[in-house]
Amino acid sequence: MSATDAGTDRAMLTEVATGILRDLCTPEDVVAAEATGWSDRLWGALEASGFPYVSVPEAAGGSGGDVADACALLAVAGRFAAPVPLAEAGLTGGWLLASAGLELPDGPLTVPAGRPGDVAALSGGPGAWRLTGRLTRVPWGGRSTRVALLATGGGTSYVVSAPTAAARVTPGRNLAAEPRDDLAWDDVPLAAGTVAPAPAGVDDLALRLRGALGRAALISGALARVAELTVRYTGEREQFGRPIARFQAVQAHLVTIAEEAQLAGLAVQVAAGNARPEPGFFDVAAAKAVTGEAATVAARASHQAHGAIGMTKEYELGQLTRRLWSWRDEFGSERYWNRQLGRRLAADGPDRLWPRISTGLGET
Amino acid sequence: MQFSATTLSPAEEKLRAEVRDFLAEQLPPDHRPALGFAGRHDPAFSRTLAARGWVGMAIPPEYGGHGRSAVDRFVVAEELLAAGAPIGAHFVADRQTGPALLHYGTEEQRRRFLPGIAAGEVYFSLGMSEPDSGSDLASVRTRATKVDGGWTVTGTKVWTSEAHRNHWFAVLCRTSPMEEGRKHAGLSQLIVDLHAEGVTVSPIPFLDGSHHFNEVALEDVFVPDDMVLGEIGSGWQQVTSELAYERSGPDRWLSTFPVLREFVREHAGPAVRDDAAAVIGRFAARFWAIRQMSLSVARALDAGQAPAVEAALVKEVGTRFEQDLVEALRVAAETELDQGTGTLFQRLLAEAVLTSPKVTLQGGTTEILRSVAAKGLGS
Repeated sequence: MSATDAGTDRAMLTEVATGILRDLCTPEDVVAAEATGWSDRLWGALEASGFPYVSVPEAAGGSGGDVADACALLAVAGRFAAPVPLAEAGLTGGWLLASAGLELPDGPLTVPAGRPGDVAALSGGPGAWRLTGRLTRVPWGGRSTRVALLATGGGTSYVVSAPTAAARVTPGRNLAAEPRDDLAWDDVPLAAGTVAPAPAGVDDLALRLRGALGRAALISGALARVAELTVRYTGEREQFGRPIARFQAVQAHLVTIAEEAQLAGLAVQVAAGNARPEPGFFDVAAAKAVTGEAATVAARASHQAHGAIGMTKEYELGQLTRRLWSWRDEFGSERYWNRQLGRRLAADGPDRLWPRISTGLGET
Repeated sequence: MQFSATTLSPAEEKLRAEVRDFLAEQLPPDHRPALGFAGRHDPAFSRTLAARGWVGMAIPPEYGGHGRSAVDRFVVAEELLAAGAPIGAHFVADRQTGPALLHYGTEEQRRRFLPGIAAGEVYFSLGMSEPDSGSDLASVRTRATKVDGGWTVTGTKVWTSEAHRNHWFAVLCRTSPMEEGRKHAGLSQLIVDLHAEGVTVSPIPFLDGSHHFNEVALEDVFVPDDMVLGEIGSGWQQVTSELAYERSGPDRWLSTFPVLREFVREHAGPAVRDDAAAVIGRFAARFWAIRQMSLSVARALDAGQAPAVEAALVKEVGTRFEQDLVEALRVAAETELDQGTGTLFQRLLAEAVLTSPKVTLQGGTTEILRSVAAKGLGS
């Protein structure tokens, strides 16, 4: 497929997804979903259109497409604050299962967030695998049917499709009331066809990079919407006899938000566009660091520009900013990725710094 | 408004490699990097660079230039700035005056100036600010009066970079009296010889002690008719329209990059401290993202678009970023600053602390840019 065809397909994909979300994921729907942390109707519609498994090859039961397609889709999901585990499906969980030749499940799939202290170990052996593991703050953990994870057994790394029904679930929430549940399996027997050796390159870091890229994409979409909302609101709201967007102090906020939203969007475009097929370390580290910082700066400026209305739970802004405040910390905060990136760059030395920074899209 | 990620073509990458090789040959390993385009005035370097075809890239071959794209210029500029090359002699003529002459100049003016600019031999300053006119540029008082065969110009320009070394400057002046409510009318641009009779150049010492800026007093300076740039009365449109796009180049976000590189040199290796690593990572990531923004504007220009809002955003975010970098490095370094002693990093950091406040002032202050950009965002 030529680059232009890929671009056209991606535009079509985001257009169709936008249509579904516009209908089924209104700000009212997002509020309503907070009680359960989940929108069944939306998930059903997305599933029926094959959206969860974009970027998983069709041969593996997915919908085809690449990492950039998945990220474009996630940007749309972020824009609508979609209360469903889309980032945990194709880009991460689906990739993990498909890489090891395991089947994609019916119903939502999720992945561990790679938090310190998470463990997953296999015992037994082929045909009689048993799982013992503790995972914290798993996105939509209790809501999922399966968790795609990496576990070690006898010194080898395996991909496991772990049944959520067999796990002990301790519910938790992020700041946007999205489920982040602790899951524990105690010596649980695993069915045949749910464990397979992890191929080379399928490891914790690769999963973390995909998880971080997915969060960066969600953030970029939410920021684009925050920018629109703030321009609209400040253009309508009048104080002192004129729209507040006419005041220089408010304009400064609008400019900051636009800059951060654009930086975030570009960072994700480049990082996703460079995935061939795997996202690269520098690209993802930089994209997650940039989007994390952008989330912080733009959320603050947008609330300041909105005034009190932005602090009400019904208003759309808060649905987005509470997600930004959560997503920036998930799969590694900006400080985490800054440090990881800085270590690598320091190890490479000063003369490699500029060549690395000036390597952009298509130049890996 | 939309920035789109763009890819460099193999030819553009090849150009980058050529510039890198050239710089490796030209700049001795112990050279002190210049911070930004105004960092060092070195005519010999400008001529050598021009001989390679990397000055006057926007100028068509018929005027001695090279007719290259905005992205090609971007690639060359970012390599020069990242290396801290001494481009101060030709940079303003190359970035600003050349394109202005192409847009507004007469055929005779183009033939007279453009070949010299492209050869890296003819240098221009900008004659915009005055003691009472900064951001409110339309309030300039320098006045040109029509006389036989030309104009006589009287007034004072300030912050005129390198006027003591350059050859010409493009002076924004009033050619007809200010009318109530139409203050942007009646302004014109004249090309003035910095060595003409009646021109007095005196230094305005800069914060770090260097002589870069000048006051240029004009007293009944005769400027012939053929040195009028563009239309009489169109000066305001000329200085604010096309040239606005020149705001978004690598010179707006790379000027303090050499300080980061030297910081990395001091912390190179696997045992880097956490806080130093976090600073290196944070700024490398943002350099990478801001570069994409800036490159995206260059690509849009080549596609015939007019990304004025985007360009203002790049300058606004880029120049603040340059300053943030300096302060973050200072905090991480835990040192006391001294321009004259210490490692190269410490001396560059001292220079950057003293000089970087200018980056959010020159070429449109942050406040003005925000106002320009915000109007575009609302529409």
